[in-house]
Amino acid sequence: MSAPAITPVFVRLKLSLLRNGLRQSGGRKAAYIASAVFALLFAALQLIGLIALRGQAHAESLIVLAVAVLGLGWAVMPLFFPSGDETLDPTRLVMLPLRPRPLIRALLTASLVGIGPLFTLCLLVGSVVAVARGGAAFAVGVVAVVLALLVCVALARAVAAANVRLLTSRKGRDLAVLSGLVIAIGAQVVNFGAQRIGASGLGELDPVAEVLQWVPPASAIAAVHAVGEGSYGLATAQLALTAGALVALLAVWSRHLTRLMTSPDGSTLATAETAARERSSTGLGRLLPAGRTGTVMERSLRYVWRDPKIKAAWVTSLAIGLIVPVFNAWQGTGSVYFACFAAGMLGIQMYNQFGQDTSAFWIVAMTISSTRDAYVELRARAYALLLITLPYATLVTVVTTAMLGDWRRLPEALGLSFALLGAMLATGAWTSARFPYSIPQEGYKNVAPGQTGLAWISIFGGMIAAAVLCAPVIALTIWLNVSAEGDAWTWLLLPVGAAYGAGLTAVGLRLAAPQTARRLPEILVAVSKG
Amino acid sequence: MGTSAVRVRGLWKRFGQQVAVAGIDLELPAGKFIGLVGPNGAGKTTTLSMVTGLLRPDHGTVEVVGHDVWQDPVEVKARIGVLPEGLRLFERLSGRELLAYTGRLRGLPGAEVDKRATQLLDVLDLAGAQHKLVVDYSTGMRKKIGLAAALLHNPEVLFLDEPFEGVDPVSAQTIRGVLERYTASGATVVFSSHVMELVESLCDWVAVMAAGRIRATGTLAEVRGDAPSLQRAFLELVGAQSRDAGTDLDWLGGGPR
Repeated sequence: MSAPAITPVFVRLKLSLLRNGLRQSGGRKAAYIASAVFALLFAALQLIGLIALRGQAHAESLIVLAVAVLGLGWAVMPLFFPSGDETLDPTRLVMLPLRPRPLIRALLTASLVGIGPLFTLCLLVGSVVAVARGGAAFAVGVVAVVLALLVCVALARAVAAANVRLLTSRKGRDLAVLSGLVIAIGAQVVNFGAQRIGASGLGELDPVAEVLQWVPPASAIAAVHAVGEGSYGLATAQLALTAGALVALLAVWSRHLTRLMTSPDGSTLATAETAARERSSTGLGRLLPAGRTGTVMERSLRYVWRDPKIKAAWVTSLAIGLIVPVFNAWQGTGSVYFACFAAGMLGIQMYNQFGQDTSAFWIVAMTISSTRDAYVELRARAYALLLITLPYATLVTVVTTAMLGDWRRLPEALGLSFALLGAMLATGAWTSARFPYSIPQEGYKNVAPGQTGLAWISIFGGMIAAAVLCAPVIALTIWLNVSAEGDAWTWLLLPVGAAYGAGLTAVGLRLAAPQTARRLPEILVAVSKG
Repeated sequence: MGTSAVRVRGLWKRFGQQVAVAGIDLELPAGKFIGLVGPNGAGKTTTLSMVTGLLRPDHGTVEVVGHDVWQDPVEVKARIGVLPEGLRLFERLSGRELLAYTGRLRGLPGAEVDKRATQLLDVLDLAGAQHKLVVDYSTGMRKKIGLAAALLHNPEVLFLDEPFEGVDPVSAQTIRGVLERYTASGATVVFSSHVMELVESLCDWVAVMAAGRIRATGTLAEVRGDAPSLQRAFLELVGAQSRDAGTDLDWLGGGPR
């Protein structure tokens, strides 16, 4: 008995899934339609933009880069949005009697249906229009678009199949929380890159494109350009490379798919291996002080690494704290004082300490029975934070200074950084006790519904207060810089700033401790809404 | 008088319009296995939260082993162990790390914490999963690691909110074994449940709660009275007489379909 063709079945399944996106509650339906319309509008705009690029000098470099980025997007998309496409998870089909080849064909065809592929198609067509010169180039362009699109789709599928165990596990969901972050930091890098290109022209991209024209799917579009230039040999090689990549991806996909669907679910088998790995991470505890201080520091530091929400917040702070001063210095528009950004961004991590605990705060609450306990708890959390922030803020300040060559200002920049860090820790400790709020563990939100006002008071009120608290050091810096004899004394700002910051932190912790000890049940209620 | 583990006077808690606990007085004897029973929404969790100092009451006083929970938290917190329901643990720690953390926060010396943790993990059948993160634990394993954390500092009174909810029979038996051994040494266990068979087989003292009030207290025999089982006595106490379902669902089962 010959099985009926399954390709139409899968395409219909995909269409049903797309249609079902419309059968949700009002808000989600609106969001679904809005995102679809937005994606299509963006695709259309891009198409127009790309066509407008036609004939510009170095346009092909930009386009090769754009297609390479597109390919990268397809590769990482299934890692970050595992629930985005239900047909990506082939383990749902395990119970069905399916052969690998027809299945691959059917899944690949079904993958071509959707907004993502349509968006990609628009971009690829636009790219071809922008770089193709002459009839032959357009003819090759048709092949190139098809090949590039298939490479993108097969890439996403192969990555998803190779990582499906990861994607359906808790670790995969943790990874998804970090995705927003990668996009945010990527946007920063693109932003600075675009500014640089704006300053010195598209020619900057040529060396990058030199390499990327050999990386599928960008190689397919590079081939279209090569045909236009008359380099038929180069074009053939690039097209062959793309086709080869497609075959290889399909083979990898097929192998993983077959193994996935014929081997038992391994989600419960991984225990032994992870056990061996995690046991080795106990060295940290021995370096920290004994008692509550060390215990709390150890847990806080572990959470920076292990809790996806806290990790995302930290990585954002670390990245932005570095990117803003260093990139500005690199572009020659910076100032040493921008380095304080690192201290400010990292100081934010002291805010809402107990919200970061979620409702597990009850464990802490059960062991705090005096103001002294609360003080030690808060101080230990501040120490854990300083263990990362102090060296990092120093490093960022030194690097920024080195890039600007403004070594004379290093002491005052460091002094200001430390004063600001101290002020942030002080206000952070106090607002943690006074205005705690829940951080939902699922999804991208960082504030539980109904607590947004509280979070605003906590963060912005705290930051303004921190800036005000720093005013004496800022005033001293300005005074030393404008007064005639002041320059000789600016080195004083380093010890003064550091001592002032340490003093502020000490006072902040002293004020926050009684609040914390008195308000334990109220804090627990406030942080348990996630 | 040293025979009372917990003494509650005029305890009230309102959430907006809803009265969760409506002025309860309760005296729980020391050294007993005590069941706090009641239907869902009776106020069991709210009561236990207020007794353990995790929730501030609107009115009333709570004394645990002779010390006021709100006036004298140092004495109380050192003497009680808690396993709440519906609150998280530090789930990004492994089971062993969670015990090490909790024990050290409680002020026990590190070596002692590690020794007790090893034994607890062994007895509770968690040794194989001790290096797994708690976030990857099953419900039964979570209850067991929560119990281990609550027992670590050898408390005088142990409060457990629904310790058997969602727990498989094997884990339930393990938990039972540990609790029975613990009360045999003279300690007090207070646990809430709505599974009467369980309470009947475990407890020697029962408090029945419904709609925020205490309906009955006493030994198992006293509360059961003339009723054939605790289940029957309980249904009468909370006023949920089994309705005759004979005529309402007469189409269900048998007959023409």
